[in-house]
Formats: sequence, C-alpha cells, structure tokens
Amino acid sequence: MMKRFRAIPAFVAFAAILVAAVAPVAAQDDVTTITFWHAMSGSRADVVQQIVDAFNEANPDVQVIAEFTGSYAETLTKALAAYQAGEPPNIVQVYEVGTRTMLDSGAIIPIMEVSGGTLDQSRFVEPITNYYAIDGELRCMPFNSSTAMIYYNKDIFRAAGLDPERPPQTFQEVYEMGKQIVESGAAPYAISFGWPAWILEQMYAKHNIFLANEGNGREGLATEVYLNNDFGVAVLTEWKKWADEGLLFYGGREYAANDPFIAGQFAMLAQSTSSLGGIERAVDFELGTAFLPRLEGYDEIGNNVVGGGCLWTMAGATEEELDAIWRFYQHLASPEMDMTWHKGTGYFPASKETVELLEAEGWFEEHPNFRTAFDQILAGENTPAAAGVLLGDFVLIRDIVGAAIEDVVVNGVDPQEALDFATEESNQVLADYASLFGE
Amino acid sequence: MVAPVFRNRILPYLLLLPSAALVLVFFIYPAVQSLELSLYRVHRVRGVKLYVGLENFERLFTSTTYLNSLEVTAKFVVAVVFFALAISLALAVGASQPIRGFGAYRTLLIWTYALSPAIAGLIWALLTDPAIGVLTGALSKFGIDFNWRRSQSDALIFITAAAVWKILGYNILFFLAGLKNIPRDVIEAASLDGANAWTRFWKMIFPLLMPVTLFLLIMNTLYASFETFGLIDITTQGGPGRATNVLVYNLYNDGFKSTTGIGLASAQSIILLGIVATLTVFQYRFVSRRTFYQ
Repeated sequence: MMKRFRAIPAFVAFAAILVAAVAPVAAQDDVTTITFWHAMSGSRADVVQQIVDAFNEANPDVQVIAEFTGSYAETLTKALAAYQAGEPPNIVQVYEVGTRTMLDSGAIIPIMEVSGGTLDQSRFVEPITNYYAIDGELRCMPFNSSTAMIYYNKDIFRAAGLDPERPPQTFQEVYEMGKQIVESGAAPYAISFGWPAWILEQMYAKHNIFLANEGNGREGLATEVYLNNDFGVAVLTEWKKWADEGLLFYGGREYAANDPFIAGQFAMLAQSTSSLGGIERAVDFELGTAFLPRLEGYDEIGNNVVGGGCLWTMAGATEEELDAIWRFYQHLASPEMDMTWHKGTGYFPASKETVELLEAEGWFEEHPNFRTAFDQILAGENTPAAAGVLLGDFVLIRDIVGAAIEDVVVNGVDPQEALDFATEESNQVLADYASLFGE
Repeated sequence: MVAPVFRNRILPYLLLLPSAALVLVFFIYPAVQSLELSLYRVHRVRGVKLYVGLENFERLFTSTTYLNSLEVTAKFVVAVVFFALAISLALAVGASQPIRGFGAYRTLLIWTYALSPAIAGLIWALLTDPAIGVLTGALSKFGIDFNWRRSQSDALIFITAAAVWKILGYNILFFLAGLKNIPRDVIEAASLDGANAWTRFWKMIFPLLMPVTLFLLIMNTLYASFETFGLIDITTQGGPGRATNVLVYNLYNDGFKSTTGIGLASAQSIILLGIVATLTVFQYRFVSRRTFYQ
C-alpha cells in the first residue's frame, strides 16, 4: 500500500516534466529556430550568450540557440560531420585556419548571398576584411577577431630591476630581459606562449615573409609551405635558446599558459588579444601589454595577422531561416553589440564605426591595454604576406607545426630538422588536398 | 535421447536474427566500408573520390610519424595492461579478505569505472598540474620535477597512470567475482597441508583465477588500444612532439582534422584491427594452455 502512494508523486513529477518539455514547443510554432555552434568557452561564452539573449528578446519570432561545441578544431569537425549527416547547424563559428576548408567544402552559403548583396564590406576594420575576403569578397560574417600580443607582469619587471614601462621590442631584448628576470629570482621563468604555431605564423606576417606559395594561398591553391626557410629556422633557434637556458615555460597549444601567467610563474606571455578581458579580471599584479617582438636581421615591415573566428552560414537553410540569420548577423555587427563584445573579451571591435565610438567615449584612454592590440595592427603595413595564410586542411597543418615546435622547445630537436620534417608532412597534406581539387 | 529444444527448424534462426542484424549493420558493414575506403582518397564533405590502390598503406609504413606512433602505442598498451592487472589483482585480493565495512570499501574501489576516460584525464591533469597540482607538489618535495607538458617520458607516464587508474575499478570487479568463486575447501585443504599464504596464492588462487585474468587481459588490451582517445585528446593532444601520439589519436588527426584523410584513416583502422585481432588470438592461445576452466 505504502509503495503505491509513494509512486504517485513520482508520476506527477514525471508528467509535469513532460508537459514542461512539450509546452514551449507547442507555443512557438511560428518561431524560426536558428542553431549557432561556437567554440567560445569561459568568460567568452558568457558574452556570446549575453549577445544572443539580447537578440532573442528583441526578435520574438526568432529563437537563436547558441551552443558551445568544443574547441575550434572540434567545432569545425562536428559542423562538417553534421552537414554530411544532413543536420547541420545554421551558423558555425570557424577559426581563420578553417577558411579554405569551409570555402571548398561546398557546405556553406557565402555571406553576400545571405545578405542579398547588402553587406557593406567597407564597414569592417581592414585587416579583418583582408583575411576573410577571397578575390575581394567576404565569404563569412566577421565576428571575433584578434591578433597576438605580449602580456607582461610589471611587478616582476620591477622586482628584476627592469623598467616596467619598457617591455622588450626584439627577440634579443626578450632574451636579455628574460635572463635578468630568471637570474634575479623575480620569477621562475621569463616567457611563455599560447597557440605557439599561430605565434610563428604571426612572425612570418609581421616580418612580411610568405609562409606558403601562391601568395600564401590567396592567388591559387597553395602546394608548398615555407616553414623550413631561414626565417622559420631563425625564429625556432631563438625559441630553443630560450628553452635551453630555462627562460621559456612551455604552456601547451591553446590557453593553458594563461593560468601560470596569472599565478606569476613567468613574466611575459605571447597570447591572443582575446584573452585580455579574462586576464585583466584575474590578475592581482599590474598588467602591461606590448607589441610582439621583432627578430633582428629581418627588417621588412608587414603586419600582425588576424586570427579568431568568422561565422559561416551552412547550406540547407530555408528562406525564412536565411532571413533570420541575416537579422542576427546585423544584430551582432551593430555598434552596441560590437562594443559589448570588445569590452567583454578583448576581441577587436569589427567595424570602423565602433572604433570611432569607443574613441569618442574615451574607452582606450581608460583601458590602455585594449588599445595595444589596435595600435599594433595599425602600425603595420597590410601587405599580401600579412593578409593571412589560406591552406587546404590547415587544421591538420597547424597540428603538424604545433608538434614541430614542441619537438624543438621541449624535446630538444634541432630546429632545421624539425621544420624540414614539418614541411615535408605539410606539403603531403597540401598535395593530397590539391589532388582532390585538381585545377 | 533428449528431445530437441526447438521443434520448429526456422525459429532458432529467427531468434538469432536481431543480434545478427545488429552485428551486420554496426560492425560488419562499417568494417567492409573501411576496407573499401582505405583504397581511396576521399573528400569527406564533397564525396570526391580518387582510387589510390595500396598507397595509403605504403605511406603509413614508410611514415616516421606512424612508425613512431606504433612504438608509442606498444609501450603504452604493455604498460597499461601490466599495471592495471597487477594493481587490481593486489587490491582485489586485499578487498576479498573479511574486513569490517568492506561493502563500502569495495564500492569505492569500483567507482572509477563509472568515469569517462576524458574525465579521468581531467582529474589527473589537475592532480599533476605543473603550477597547482597536489601530486606535483608532493613529488617536488622528493626532488622530482614532474611535468607532462615539458617532458616526453613524463607525458607517457602521465597518460599511463590515468589510463590504469580509470580501468582499475572494472578489473577489481571481475577479480573479486573470480576470487569468490574459488572453492574454499580446496584452499583450506592446502592450508592443512602446510601451504603458506604465498604458496596458496601462486600455486592455487592465481591458476584458478586464470579464466578471469585471460578475459581481463583481452579487455584491457582493447581498452588501452581503443578507448583512451578522450584521455589523450583532453590532456597531451599527442604531445609533447609526438610522445603520446598513440594509433587511435593519430587516426583521429589524419581522419578528422583534415577533410581529405578519411582514406588514410580507414587504412589505419584496418591495421589497428589486424594488430588487435592478432594479439587477441595470440593471448587466447597462449594463456588458454595454462588456464583451468572449472
């Protein structure tokens, strides 16, 4: 008898859950649902949700559902697998590395088509347009753009007897200052990187050196990378020297170096500018930011290359969905949301209008660290070598380069040898890719 | 003369049909497809196909990365299987003694099995974090600088430890059941004959446990070869360099991080299948000879 009574509340609860699950669906018959897969975790994810919520509130006939689907590489992989399975998301955030892959996949609708040709390309900050435009036309909706810069701990600089207002500008200075920091005991290590393979790409662009043939893959399908040229070897030789002398703290391939930097394990961190929001909120020391250092002996001026993500519209959307997607894009690009995004994360404001508004508001004066990334990208020259590399299956090549860098700075392999091997492997990937897209 | 259980001659086949269908659809069909794909280079999304014959296999067996991956996997699998079996057997023997509150104790020993490999990886990554890890801190007191991001051997030790820890619960469960099934009178008779604990274990209990050990040997080999992907992906990602690039991880990189590598990945899955099948047959033959099924 007792047992039967006990079962009733359970049944009621179960029924209530069922009703609750079904009810909203029934009430939203005329609502267009847009799925948006992204790779933003941590504090970035909160800002994405904030922006999406604002859109859903203002557009009762559309429901955008933002879903975190893992790292950039995972999100790209999942989106393409879902497309094959016939259930792609409507919008997917893809990092710059995936640009060529998305373009060739046949699984996307170019942004110009989504917008019915109404998107004004000139509203975006130039290096952003340069990356995602192929043959002069944008293919995806620029969303989160960043470059890499140096974050440094001014307290450690002071403790080491260095001028906290004078961060290193060259590799040689990183080395000398690093020595002083470690030898004075101000910190156990001097420097670390996030996304080391990307930092290497930044170096090529900054020194106006091509990383791949066919104009970095922008004039045609790239078939050869120049990882093992004298420049690549010179950069890795420096990094190896830092590692061998105990200055370099190797911090993994993505953001794992951020925590030990915040904890004061080393004084300098080369990391994406998009970590600024998170780092600034977390540190209890005085934070400085600076341009990426230059390598002596290579004097050509290029620019930092833009990284981050772009929003791709997946094929298979209905007219209604396309309309909703375009409205969502316009919402994202509105100065108000653009500002929320920039201030919350450190990603670039995407449009020139937002930059002007931020200037007028005095934002950059109050937050000089947010200004650094911007000044850095305006200080360079937007040459073809700095427009960003387009490679088939770049995702895999990034991994090959990542392993090569680890081989050099962790496993002590000779830079020339590691890069020769990475070049050979990358060229094989490119050859496979080209064989399926034979021109 | 015993009457046949099934009078209807078709019924047994009908009853077998559902499981046979499952095996066909989910195992045989994909395996055949992999075999076919391994002869092609395919664009995963567009479906463009290029026949390449045995080039995928040729390339693998001449690739430094792949040969290194084979070596890493061999080391990893042997270490995982050995330590997982040895430690769990010791723990199971301990837990099978009549001690107070052993129900709770045994439950605690088994619960690691409920975790996914990825979670096991996260737990170990936290424990051994170079800056804040509890275990790293303890080790540094003994003068050991453990850092799996900056040492190839530490990285291999790290994923081995996490993989072993994760499978312990499963092994203990089977060993406990096996120990329970050993007839007490045999052991008691041996005690009366003057066999000490050491002799009793190695001469009686261990041989009687052989069927369980054989089963676990095969299951652990499969586990170490196939199921540790999540653990590696969430921690070392095959690095530093290629130090923890085991076969399944290499397969994932080639097959999924590129859009054109599904043929190469299929070839790898065929090779992996071949290796594991051979090992299983070998283990079965070799250990069976020394196994007493009751």
